[in-house]
Amino acid sequence: MANREIKKVAVLGAGAMGSGIAAQLANAGVEVYMLDKNPDAPKAAIARMLKANPAADAMNAGFMSPANAKRIKTGNTDDNLEEAVKDADWIVEVIVEDLGLKQKLFAEVEKYRKPGSIVSSNTSTIPLHDMAQGRSDDFKKNFIITHFFNPPRFMRLLEIVSGPATDKDVTETMKEFCDVRLGKNVIVSNDTPGFIANRIGTYLLFRAITEATNRKMNIEDVDAVMGRPMGFPKDGIFGLLDLVGIGIVPHVTKSLHGTLPPDDGFQKIFEEPKLVEGLLANGHWGRNAPNGGFYRMKRNADGSKQKLVLDLPKAAALLQSGEWDKTVGAKAPGALEALYRPAGKAGIKKSVEAGKKGLRAVFDAGDAGADYAWSVMRDTLIYAASVMPGPTDSIADIDAGMRDGYNWKYGPFEMLDKIGLDYFIRRAQMDGIEIPPVLKMAEGRKFYSRVNGRPAALKFDFAANKAEYAVIPRPAGIISLADIKRGSKPVLHGQSASLWDIGDGVVCFEFHSKMNSLDPSVMKVLNDSIKLVSANPDKYKAMVVYNEDSNFSVGANLAFAQLALKFNKMSVIENIIYTGQRVYQALRYAPFPVVGAPNGMALGGGCEILLHCDAIQAGAETYMGLVESGVGIIPGWGGCVRYLERAQDTQGKPKGLKNGTFPPVQTAFGAILAPMMAMSTSGQDAKNKLWLRPTDGVTMNKDRLLGDAKAKALSLAPGYKPPEPPTFRLPGASGKASLQMAVDDFYTKGDATWHDVVVGDALSEVLSGGGTNPGIELTEAEMLQMEREAFMSLVHTKQTQARIGHMLKTGKPLREEPLKESKTPAQIRETRDHITLPVKPYDAKPLSGRDARRLKLMAGATWGFYKVLGFMK
Amino acid sequence: MKHAVIVGYARTPFTRAVSPAPGQTKTGKLAHVTPMNMMVPVINELVDRTGIDPKDVETVLTGCVNQEAEQGLNIARLAILHRDCKLTNSTGGVTVDRFCGSSMHVIADAKNAIQAGEAEAIICTGVQSMSRVPMTGWNPLIDKEVYESHPAGFLNMGVTAENLARKYSVSRKEQEEFALKSHQKAAAAQDAGNYKEEIVPVGGVSEDDGVRRDASAEQMAGLKPAFEKSGSVTAATSSPITDGASGVLVTSEDYAKTNNLPVMARIKSFAGSGCAPEIMGIGPVEASKKALERAGITMKDVDIVELNEAFAAQSISVLKEMEAQGMKIEEHKLNIDGGAIALGHPLGASGARLVGKAASLLQRTGKRYALATMCIGGGQGVAMVLENPNPKP
Repeated sequence: MANREIKKVAVLGAGAMGSGIAAQLANAGVEVYMLDKNPDAPKAAIARMLKANPAADAMNAGFMSPANAKRIKTGNTDDNLEEAVKDADWIVEVIVEDLGLKQKLFAEVEKYRKPGSIVSSNTSTIPLHDMAQGRSDDFKKNFIITHFFNPPRFMRLLEIVSGPATDKDVTETMKEFCDVRLGKNVIVSNDTPGFIANRIGTYLLFRAITEATNRKMNIEDVDAVMGRPMGFPKDGIFGLLDLVGIGIVPHVTKSLHGTLPPDDGFQKIFEEPKLVEGLLANGHWGRNAPNGGFYRMKRNADGSKQKLVLDLPKAAALLQSGEWDKTVGAKAPGALEALYRPAGKAGIKKSVEAGKKGLRAVFDAGDAGADYAWSVMRDTLIYAASVMPGPTDSIADIDAGMRDGYNWKYGPFEMLDKIGLDYFIRRAQMDGIEIPPVLKMAEGRKFYSRVNGRPAALKFDFAANKAEYAVIPRPAGIISLADIKRGSKPVLHGQSASLWDIGDGVVCFEFHSKMNSLDPSVMKVLNDSIKLVSANPDKYKAMVVYNEDSNFSVGANLAFAQLALKFNKMSVIENIIYTGQRVYQALRYAPFPVVGAPNGMALGGGCEILLHCDAIQAGAETYMGLVESGVGIIPGWGGCVRYLERAQDTQGKPKGLKNGTFPPVQTAFGAILAPMMAMSTSGQDAKNKLWLRPTDGVTMNKDRLLGDAKAKALSLAPGYKPPEPPTFRLPGASGKASLQMAVDDFYTKGDATWHDVVVGDALSEVLSGGGTNPGIELTEAEMLQMEREAFMSLVHTKQTQARIGHMLKTGKPLREEPLKESKTPAQIRETRDHITLPVKPYDAKPLSGRDARRLKLMAGATWGFYKVLGFMK
Repeated sequence: MKHAVIVGYARTPFTRAVSPAPGQTKTGKLAHVTPMNMMVPVINELVDRTGIDPKDVETVLTGCVNQEAEQGLNIARLAILHRDCKLTNSTGGVTVDRFCGSSMHVIADAKNAIQAGEAEAIICTGVQSMSRVPMTGWNPLIDKEVYESHPAGFLNMGVTAENLARKYSVSRKEQEEFALKSHQKAAAAQDAGNYKEEIVPVGGVSEDDGVRRDASAEQMAGLKPAFEKSGSVTAATSSPITDGASGVLVTSEDYAKTNNLPVMARIKSFAGSGCAPEIMGIGPVEASKKALERAGITMKDVDIVELNEAFAAQSISVLKEMEAQGMKIEEHKLNIDGGAIALGHPLGASGARLVGKAASLLQRTGKRYALATMCIGGGQGVAMVLENPNPKP
């Protein structure tokens, strides 16, 4: 266990990495002092990061909440080094990759740092022992490498490199701090060139570029096959280089070439990166460069944009003839320009299509893409195996490094398990390739298996030339649902959701439909789960709503709704809304605590279930929002009512005539009608935007989310009492008119469409309380009924149905064109349909009797619906 | 009939406000000063400057829009109770809301009371802290029936300016030229020290901060329309939201003579009018016409015009319509020291500034007649004619 505390950190360097690290530290609640030799750089970096939104600009969106920027003090290295360093618990150097400059800086740091403070470098290429040269023993004891990946907020990998002199406690402290507080997946590497991820990642990139050049392939083809089909980021090879900046290629490859031993596999493929250097010489350094990179956008005279791409076969011919060096390489104007052509779709189809069936299917596809992918991947996977035990002897760490540092879906050894090791070895041998010892030792087996029900990986004994399975160690406090699922049976199971026992009397409710969309089957399992847990208080104490997919839930399944609409089965829609509301209410008032634990997107119905939980423990990257208005509806599973309750709790609940009735209504109206503004951009931001209550928590490391949520659920369990239903004092018709006025104003300005006016009307009817007045306390049941009625009134409109259809078809919200004959808001209101629904009795217990039978019927029909839907397509 | 006269005019600096919206971290220069602490110094300045016996002040009449929070609870009377206020308990207080016309309206009320023999001296003030109370208030509810029958009654003021720009074919360029001139006139007036005598420093601020000396046609042309996507009205051609207080002391002419108070102007006439709310900005035309008729003069007799520049498009439309109706306002008579586009428009406080300014301009120029007029949201206009009792020949 680590026993050092890190409260203050000095970040030396305010470039992209330094400022990103500073922001992530501030996100973690740490006090930061950021310095740069350029006195303006730190403040400029903070301003740049504050402007960026994670959805649009992940590279710059360092802050999880704008308030975090206040935790960063700024200064310049010349004047403020002593002040920044003297009481820092951790000093992290993030300056240029220049050994001399780093050594000089560390000598300065040593003058001022307090004894026992941790010093680290973010270098990706320079060995630890070189940087520590000339420093004191205390410095060396506290000196390590902490290698972050760009952007530091979103890339989950952190490589830690300690030297022989490094105190064990320093390594342990940093492992724990960077894992728990910074949310990183920490892997420990030996002090070898490129550490783990860059060594293998660079090999792949370089091998892929040279092979593509030698084969004179089109760039679109390379990126198509080396993207999703391989489990790599969708940009592929050249697209990804454009994104990160192609200048990294000569920098890292030359560094590896200079530091790796002569017999290393990388040396065999290394050559001068002339292609890349030619582009760089002409300013084509990547996507954000004025000239672009391998791809570039050309603006035509009429203002339209055209995507161009480097004609690689032509470039390759120039490289082979030596012409390249004289023209592009010598920065001859126009020579490179002539090599761009309009970008098109990939010509290679078979191997790209085969990607859906797995890696082996790609290699067997029998086209140019298959041959290319095989030769690149063959060498890369062999290289990954051959570097062991240099940087590490753990295949699990290598795989984690490539997943979290390079966004590969599978690490090299997971890939080999998918391809089939024996197939791989046979085919590589046919190519005349030598097989490294690690693969030979593993032959006939998979790299991953289980030992005593727990995940295990092969551990290699290089001296004895054999390998045995060993349990993969997990840091304390991490509970993995995947592990639990592999080792047990669900308590309840349905087509789209399951209930798992995660120990200590806590159950986990998990969605597992496509993109975790919600349908009647989810509702049925949830209803049954609430009944089961309520009926067994001796066995079960609490529930967590959680899953390990990349998104918590994208909301209700619209395809299901659309089918019902197609056959004009309004009663089906009405039942979905009615039962959904009731099941969520049953969850809200269940006799046991429920903790929602989202990460990724939690939209629409997925957001609504969280609003019904007693507490939320959110992952750091949680994007919550009620986005229903985009498809012309309003939240119908209690979302309107629950968000209004949150707004009232925050802004002052109208009591008697104290506190205006309107401000909370206004807040909820804005959040639901303009969801893109109200959607949280992080777990912390969800608190700013009222999705989370002040008492809710945020977990920085998503691997720890289930453990944290479970702990929270258990802390709520002793003596748990369900909450009292809220009441609502609302402005009534005047409130509705005021909200309408706001929407009409947007409509007049052209910022809202004519159907937004209709959707806004339905929403304002609910939130202002219908025909109420401020003297009346409306019950929750009355509010929910209004929500249902307003929801159904929208479903009956043609345009809402059009929006739903458009979303399903294109994945994008439909924005209406202005009407040919322009109408005033009042005229729009006159022409829309009004419907009234019969009042239904309503309570907050799990569904039983006729209602439960009806839900079961709907849930049973879910797959049937999907099948019909597939057939119709 | 008795004459009512203006014997004193004072105001705080007008400074740009920043509406207290969520997430807003900027503040206006006078955001730290409550409306009360803007108004009391103005009252005291009027007392000090004229030397009036505070006990003779019958009433404080205050124009103020959105009378809630610190602007609520009848601020006119509360001001008298303020520990620093030089008036005594014997003076009454009334707060009035006629939107932008509020503090011009209270001057008319004072005139009427004096002419009716119901008062000898009344302090008329206007106050607005747009930094502290947002334009729609804190619980902004509207009446459903009125909204359904007359939605234009609640239109965004900017949209009404767009409507006028369309109706009177006012180009964006014309608007920008008008706005630029307002800034140039205000800057020249600042340089000449023309505001010095009217401004009472408050909260450490002693100068208006809305005047943009660096304003240029190119810069204005680059702005996005503020109210309609394809509209022509921008932030540069609209009056900015502003904090400030203003006031005039109105007495009977006899009282002024007896007590040796410096008469700045007689209040000759006042008129209010209504118009379609969607073109509320045209209000000054009808109101001015009525006020001139009541004063028994024509526009040709008027040498000083203070027209509230709610928007450049609105002001230009008024000028065009006036000219069409035979009431052409010559450029050299209009807003000589700059207007609201440069100085700002603190709703409730603008009317008393216009009247006070017109009165002091009569003194400065020695001219005989002045007209102060303004448009009012919801579709109204107000206008007041002043007469210099001792014009220079």
